[in-house]
Formats: sequence, structure tokens, C-alpha cells
Amino acid sequence: MNLTKLRKHFWLPLIALVLSFLIAVPTSKAQAAEKTYVIGTDQTFKPFEIQDKDGTYNGKNPGIDMDILKAIAKHEGFKYDLKIMSFNADVQALQSGQLDGMIAGMSVTSERKKTIDFSQTYYTDGVAMAVAQNSKITKLSDLKGKTVNVKTGTMGATYAESIKKKYGFKLKYYTSSNTSWADVKAGNADAAFDQAASLKYGIANGIGLKIVGKQVANAPLAFAVKKGKNQTLLKKFNHGLTWLKKTGRLQKIIDKYTSSKAVKSQVVTDTSILGLIKSNASALGQGLWMTIELAIVGIIFALIFGIILGIMGIAEHKFWHGVANVIIYIFRGIPMMVLAFFIYIGMPTIIGHKLPLFTAGILTLMLDEGAYIGAIVRGGFESVDVGQWEAARSLGLPYYKALWKVVAPQGFKLMIPSLVNQFIITLKDTSILSAIGVMDLTQTGSTLIAQNFQGFKMWLIIAVMYLIIITILTWISNYIQKKMQH
Amino acid sequence: MEEQYKVKVSDLHKSYDGVHEVIKGANLTVMPSEVVCIIGPSGSGKSTFLRCINKLEEFQKGHIFVDGKDLADPKNDINKIREKIGMVFQHFNLFPNMTVLENITLAPVKLGKMDKETAIKEAHKYLQMVNMDDKADVRPTTLSGGQQQRVAIARALAMKPDVMLFDEPTSALDPEMVGDVLNVMKELAKEGMTMIVVTHEMGFAKQVSDKVAFFYGGVIKELGTPEEIFDHPQEPETKSFLDKVLNA
Repeated sequence: MNLTKLRKHFWLPLIALVLSFLIAVPTSKAQAAEKTYVIGTDQTFKPFEIQDKDGTYNGKNPGIDMDILKAIAKHEGFKYDLKIMSFNADVQALQSGQLDGMIAGMSVTSERKKTIDFSQTYYTDGVAMAVAQNSKITKLSDLKGKTVNVKTGTMGATYAESIKKKYGFKLKYYTSSNTSWADVKAGNADAAFDQAASLKYGIANGIGLKIVGKQVANAPLAFAVKKGKNQTLLKKFNHGLTWLKKTGRLQKIIDKYTSSKAVKSQVVTDTSILGLIKSNASALGQGLWMTIELAIVGIIFALIFGIILGIMGIAEHKFWHGVANVIIYIFRGIPMMVLAFFIYIGMPTIIGHKLPLFTAGILTLMLDEGAYIGAIVRGGFESVDVGQWEAARSLGLPYYKALWKVVAPQGFKLMIPSLVNQFIITLKDTSILSAIGVMDLTQTGSTLIAQNFQGFKMWLIIAVMYLIIITILTWISNYIQKKMQH
Repeated sequence: MEEQYKVKVSDLHKSYDGVHEVIKGANLTVMPSEVVCIIGPSGSGKSTFLRCINKLEEFQKGHIFVDGKDLADPKNDINKIREKIGMVFQHFNLFPNMTVLENITLAPVKLGKMDKETAIKEAHKYLQMVNMDDKADVRPTTLSGGQQQRVAIARALAMKPDVMLFDEPTSALDPEMVGDVLNVMKELAKEGMTMIVVTHEMGFAKQVSDKVAFFYGGVIKELGTPEEIFDHPQEPETKSFLDKVLNA
């Protein structure tokens, strides 16, 4: 009797096990790496952040912020891990404790000072207005009824919002300057407000826009930590910055990127599709590998989670049906991107430590895709003829033996087509994780385009790469399906 | 004294919705080696009644004793009781994901009744009995209805049950298949198996049963020997039912 009872609740500890595994793994890692600071930064935000063609900041000219950070860290003797995300995600991650500090061309505002402690300033930037080269717009008053692009959460956005009513223009928000500018160049918008240094550098590198009007809203830029946290890091940064200023090294760094002799982006000479593939092969390969890794590990965890949910959904005790329903309802109902943000940026507040990016990505896939798989598994079990249950039970087989030996094998056969479909969706859904900065194929694409401005061709390459792996996956699953039918 | 009967149903009530009762206080006692056929119009609840006897249907009130164990008592392990009650279904319900032989050995092996080797030997014995041994290694889906039903009987017998329940075992069969299945059942009856059979085969009921129960309106309206029921029915409902089926 005790034994059967134990078996009935056999799944509960299993769920706990899977969850604790996913949460516990990062704990040990986070503790071991405590001495290394996690610093957040933006994706390419020239001239402050300039990713190289592999999407890293290890290149020769990684931007003002990166040069400053590198110099200070070396002088002050601390190590850091860079986390590359969108500016907004950085700010949120800083607040949630995922990041120890951030440097991303961030301007000091009184609003931000409420939640952030800033270092001394290292540069003063302002907002400039850029328009297409053939545009007739020359001043703010020309903007009446026009569309203006800004990057969310930036000085440019704040400034544009403050004068929007007065000049009567509409705002369009982007998460990267590059897309915002490309949109203006393409004629979809009339102007872009952005940080002047960034615009200047972009123009020098051929973004096809021009600056009109005066630089306004000048504001100091600084390194940031969460208010009241990581004061040691802040002190070290300030100490190092003082040294940079005194020795003239800071000015050298700034000149390197903003003077008339500013360094140029690495110029992609061969912009044919073949040339782009060749010059970006290693970055694309890494992105592809990350996508495949996420998909495979994600599918395995989602499958485990989904099967547990599916079995709960038809468990002997009705109570578990309700639990499964609620879990499936919640995770099918939350858009995957929101779930990813919640897990990566929201969870650390709850569990009290950082969550590695990959773990957060897998957890997201597991919960989201797992909910769908749960519904598929439950449906598959339910569509097995009830007579099969009755025959098995009438022989004296207990519920879970009947399920495992008789119903489940037939159910799995019925659900294979839906499962294959879900696997393909999972593979595509990994691209959503690029929102939290996972360097998958999609994110690699964004990064490369910020570099070489070859949007059309690069996205074409990326799309074809996705198609190829999905085709291979489809072939494999068709083959397995055929094998199983015999 | 109490242990004399094999199955005893007393004041059984069952409803699906808590309002409308399908079984309204049915009683039945079956002695060892007795064959009881339950006849009656469709929708009278006779199949539901049969399915209560191994608790495939839950019931709300009353008692069912099988070998002295009360199914209404939650302390009794229903799985253990079911091991002793063989059930044969209208639609056979063989497991399509297994061979004929695996269908038969599954429960005895998984429930620890015997080791695999013994189970296979036993299975062949029962397959010979139902004249299906040559099909031991095929999938059930390749068999005709009559063949499947005979395999299903062998599967139930492999658990060495004390009682066999038959739920309209020939209703889904083509007419030419019915005879084979009925012959197997007759053989079983002769060997002294206790059987409760819900059936529309009046000839079988007449010839094989010790008792015939006429199920009507959720109760056993009339119970007696085949002669009593078929030749001298007392209740008007019994008469009218027999008139309809025998003169059809």
C-alpha cells in the first residue's frame, strides 16, 4: 500500500529535481566566479562600443567605453566579464543584480540618479539630429507632422519626448541606433535623434545621414552601478579614471574615436553574399552552433518537462490535472520574449543570485516549449482508446503500469507528428532568446549588420542557414517516423 | 457459510451525474462454477452492472463481494481483486502495440505472478485452448474479430481468474465468427469456470447458463433457470422482451 502511494507521487520529486538542477547549477558557478565583475554593455554603439566581426569587444578598436574599461581594470587590477545586451536590458539587469556595473555611453540624469550611482564623468555628449543626405529638413521646426526615430531609453529619446508636442512630430522607438538610422536612410522616417558622438562616428563610416542643427542637451557620460551596491567597484573605477585623466590617457582614447582622424570601422571589401559568408564564417559558425546547442538542450529539457506535465495531466489523482492545466495555461499564455526577460532579469531578484545566460535561455525554452509539449503529450494519451485502459486495468495492472506499458506506447506514436512540429518551432524560437543577448544565429546577424551595414544580404544568409538546419531536422525526423511505423 | 458464493451484489446503485440512476438497487448472487447470463433490452444498464463487478465503473451505494472482499471498501486493493476477475470486452481491446503472445504474458509477468518463461509456456497452453496458438507471434490487428476475441479470452484466463465477466462478447462479430467464440465459452463453462455473461445470444443463454437474469430498468427484474425465464416468464416486461427477440 505504501509503495503504491509512493509511486503515485513519484513525479513530484522529479519536477523538483529538474528545477533545482537548473537553479542549483548556476549557484555554484556564480560563487566560484565572485571575484570577476560582470559588466554590462550595449551592442555596437559607436563610438563607445564597437563590436568586432565576431561580435566581441576583443578587437583593436572596441570603442571609447571599452578602451576606458580595459585601461582602468588593468590599472586597478580587477577582472570583468562583459555582457552584451541592448541598452534597456542592461539597465534592467543592473537593477536586478545580474550586472555589477555597466558602461554603455550612459548619460547622467537626475531621473537615473534615483536608482543608480554614477562614477565621475569621462565624456560629455549631446543630442544631435540626423537626416537623410537629400533631406530638406534643417531645423526642429521643419519636423511638424514628421516621424522621428530614437533609441529607447537614451538621451536622444528623452530630448525628443520633451519637444515632441512643441514641434508636432511623431516618435518611433528602436532598440538599436543602427536600425533607427537605416530606417531614416530608407525614408521610412524623417529624422533620428541620437547621441552626437555616435552620429558623427557613424557618418564618418558611411551611414548615409547628415547632422543638421545644433548639438543640444549636453550631458556627461559615466559608468554606473546599482544604487548602494558594488561601491568597491565604483571606487576602483573612479580611482582609475582620475589616473587616466591625469596622465592624458583619457583624451588619447577619446581622440582615437572622435577626432577628424578617427579610426574607421573595419571595412568589408567584398560585400557579395559569398564574400560576406567568407569574411564572417567564424562568427556565423559560432552563432549557428549556439542556435543548435540551445535547440538540442532546450528540446531535451522541454521534452522532460512536457512529459511530466502530460503525465500529470492524466494522473490518477485529479488534483494533478489541475496543476498541469495551470502550468500549461501560464506558460502558453506568456509570450516567450517576456518569459525570457522575466527569467533572466526578474528571477535573480527572487532567487538572490545571477542566472547564467545559457541557463536562462534553456529555462525559457523548457518552460515555454515544455508547456506546448505537455499539451501534446496529454492529448496523445487521451486519444488512446479508453478500451485499452479498461483492458489493462481489468487485468489488475495498476494505473501507472497500465499507462506505461499499454497506453503510453500507443499515445507516443499518435503524438510524434505534433512533437516533430514542436521541435521545429523550438529551433526557430531560439531566435527570440537573442533579446536577452544570447549570441545565437539571430543575434550574430544583428551584430554583424551593425558592423557592415549589409542588412539585406546578411539576413538572407541567416534565413537560409535556418532553413538548412530545419530541413535537415525535418529529414531526420521523417526518417525516424518511418522507422517507428514499422 | 458466507464464503459459498463467488460474487454477491447487494442493493447496487449507480448514477453518472448524481441525479439519474442507471442502476437502482440491483441484487445478484453467483455461486462457484455457476454460469449466469444477463439479458435485457439495450440501455437497461446490464453492461454497466457487469462493469461495476470489477469496478471499471464506480458505484455510489451498495456492496459487491468477490471472494468475500467488498469492492465498496476502499481498504481493499482493487488491483488485487481485479487480478482474480477476468474480463472480456465487446470490442476485444487487445493491445495493438504487442504481439498476441505479449498481450497474454504482459499482466502475469508485470504483476509478478510468474517468470517470463513460465508465462510464455502458459500462454501457449491457453492459446491452444482457444485454438489460436498458430497466431502467437502476429499483431492482433491482423486477426479477424472472432480470432481477436478468442485471444482476449486467453489473455483473461492467463491471470487464472476465479470469475470471468463477458460484456457482450459476440455483439461486434460477423455472424460466422460467433460460433467459435461461443464454443470456447461453452468449453470454459464445462470446466467449471464461474461466469457472468451479458449477452444477446438467447440460444447460448438457454443452453449454457445455470441462471438467467433479466435486467430491466436498472434492476434484475427476474431471475431463474433458463426454463423458468424462457418458457415461463413471470413478469410482463420479460415476456414482452422475449417476444421481441425470439420472434424477430
